Amino acid sequence: MRVGLEAFLILSAVLFSLGLFGAVSKKGAVQVLMSLEVMAVAVNINLVAFSRFLTPLTMDGQFFTIFAMVISAAEIGLGLALVLAIYRRSRQSEVTGLNELKG
Amino acid sequence: MTWIAAIPALPAIAFIALILMPGAVRNRSLWIPVGAIVASAALSIAAFFQTVPGEHGITEAVWRASWVLGTVDGAPLMLGMSLDAVTAVMLLTITLVSACVHVYSLSYMGHDARKGLYFAELSLFTSAMLLLVLADNLLLLFAAWEVMGLCSYLLIGFWFEEDEPRRASQKAFLVTRVGDLGLMFALVAIFKTCGTWDLATVLGSVGEWAPGVTVAIAIGLLLGAMGKSAQVPLHVWLPDAMAGPTPASALIHAATMVAAGVYLVARTLPIFEAAPAVQMATLIIGTVTALVAGLLACVQHDIKKVLAYSTISQLGLMFMALGAGSIVAALFHLVTHAFFKSLLFLGAGSIIHATDTQDMREMGGLRKVMPFTWGFFTIGSLALAGVVPLSGFFSKDEIVLSLQHAGQGWAVALLFVASLLTAFYMTRLYARVFEGPSKIAHAHESGRLMLAPMGLLVFATLVLGWMAPLFARFLGHEAESLPLAVALTSTVIAAAGIGLGWFMFHLRGVDTEVLKARSPLVYAAFARKFYFDAFYDAVFIRPFGVGARGLWAFDRRAIDGVVNGLASLARGTGQRLRRLQTGRLQSYQRLVLSAVVILMACVMIYVAMTGA
Repeated sequence: MRVGLEAFLILSAVLFSLGLFGAVSKKGAVQVLMSLEVMAVAVNINLVAFSRFLTPLTMDGQFFTIFAMVISAAEIGLGLALVLAIYRRSRQSEVTGLNELKG
Repeated sequence: MTWIAAIPALPAIAFIALILMPGAVRNRSLWIPVGAIVASAALSIAAFFQTVPGEHGITEAVWRASWVLGTVDGAPLMLGMSLDAVTAVMLLTITLVSACVHVYSLSYMGHDARKGLYFAELSLFTSAMLLLVLADNLLLLFAAWEVMGLCSYLLIGFWFEEDEPRRASQKAFLVTRVGDLGLMFALVAIFKTCGTWDLATVLGSVGEWAPGVTVAIAIGLLLGAMGKSAQVPLHVWLPDAMAGPTPASALIHAATMVAAGVYLVARTLPIFEAAPAVQMATLIIGTVTALVAGLLACVQHDIKKVLAYSTISQLGLMFMALGAGSIVAALFHLVTHAFFKSLLFLGAGSIIHATDTQDMREMGGLRKVMPFTWGFFTIGSLALAGVVPLSGFFSKDEIVLSLQHAGQGWAVALLFVASLLTAFYMTRLYARVFEGPSKIAHAHESGRLMLAPMGLLVFATLVLGWMAPLFARFLGHEAESLPLAVALTSTVIAAAGIGLGWFMFHLRGVDTEVLKARSPLVYAAFARKFYFDAFYDAVFIRPFGVGARGLWAFDRRAIDGVVNGLASLARGTGQRLRRLQTGRLQSYQRLVLSAVVILMACVMIYVAMTGA
């Protein structure tokens, strides 16, 4: 049995939904960051899958994916630094506690 | 002779100078208004001698000066001054009385914290009154007339910290405004008819007016004069005006301003003569006023209110003379009255200054304590009562004579009744204040600065009466000798009034309680001032108050309701919307998520429906 484009898209959609659920529902800032990574990975899978099945000769999607992974690595580094700074300031790292700018 | 323009200009300059100063400096610069009015008086005397020997008739001006104000419908609008015999006499009267009052006020108002302002207002008033008599056209006259009204308002309400002066000043302003409305109407009608306000031109063309127009204009002028000169039924403001400082009352509410109405009618008498019905109305109003005010003067306890009602009554006599068509009699009584009534007011001020009260029931026995005031006041009272040979006697008999010439026998009879009342209430006042046991221990004679001006007025009161023939000739009329019968009758009447008053209030103290018990209805009518105030209260003031309260409620409920409702709607919406701004990252996230889901749902439904 040959694995088709639909299977990769379903996998990507499932991963994206999981990541979204995590980002919306988790309290810890680190957990939220992890969920965001899962969503980014889901996008990468989409890119690679479309590239492989629709334009197999050029490999555009694969290059995009490499760039996206580098950027999300940098993003995670920055995000974790922010979490550390927040933790130093208020001795906690839960996003629900960050409501000083409440209207 | 341009210097005549300086007569009203000097007090005006004094006013401007004073009003621009800071309060403390103003209080120390009282020499400016006093100097200005003395200079004005000197110039008025000079102006008077410019007009001697008069005898030209009152319409012939010795001096005229006009300035073009602008053009109306292509015709120049002129404002100007003119000096004739009547004006000269009025100038002399006003400046002399005003100078006396100024000097007197230096002492009387000496301790007031705002005396500078008082003098400034006094100067402005004097200036306006002088401008009024100098004006050769009705527009300038009306402007001066209104400035005088303003000064009257300011001076009545001078002690505005207290309730009564404040109310009285508003009442005076509003009641005279009713009359002024008539005057304004008359001015508009005159301009419509003649195309000018120049007095000589207007009076020269009276014969060509339609009868209806003449009557309407005469009624308007009469209304204005009634308001200013406190004639029934517009007299209610003058007794209340006594809440102002006494010297101001002497100048404004006795000698000069209230005589402006008489002056106006005297000036425009040809219009009234062309409308006999209105002239008759003038006579009737004057008679009613003289009697009503005379009766009310008999029951007042406030010394100033007695004098105020007396002033109204005497102004009524002047209106009677005008109703009989005699300018000379009216103006002569105006002049003599100005002097002896301001003398009486200054005397009353001296008494009030000494006793700290205006209630005559608390006074008594002041004859020995205040000999000079007593002497001056007695002379003034006798003049007012019409006793030979004081000025009031002559001027009142002139009025009797003029009424006789006009063939109004009933008016003569009623005038005698008014004279009887005058003599009666002045005797009552005299007996209450100067005779009987002394009730106030700290009373003392007033200083020289207050007595000297009164002395000058006493001199005028003593001398002026003999000037009657001269006065008539000066105004260009035939002088006639007083018939013995008239002189005798009026003397007997004055003596009767004095005797009755002396008997009732000195020899046999009258118990008002007995009178009250005997005729309660009459007593109530007197006590309520013949219901004039009650009538105005019921007919005008209370309905107006009801209307005003209704409008206020509408404003508060309907108009404010809309405005406040809009505001609270915006606030309420904001209150609810701010809950969205929780400050939690994830709730924003959820919002964005749900928005995306809804959007996608919409797109999908759209695609499914269009089948694209």
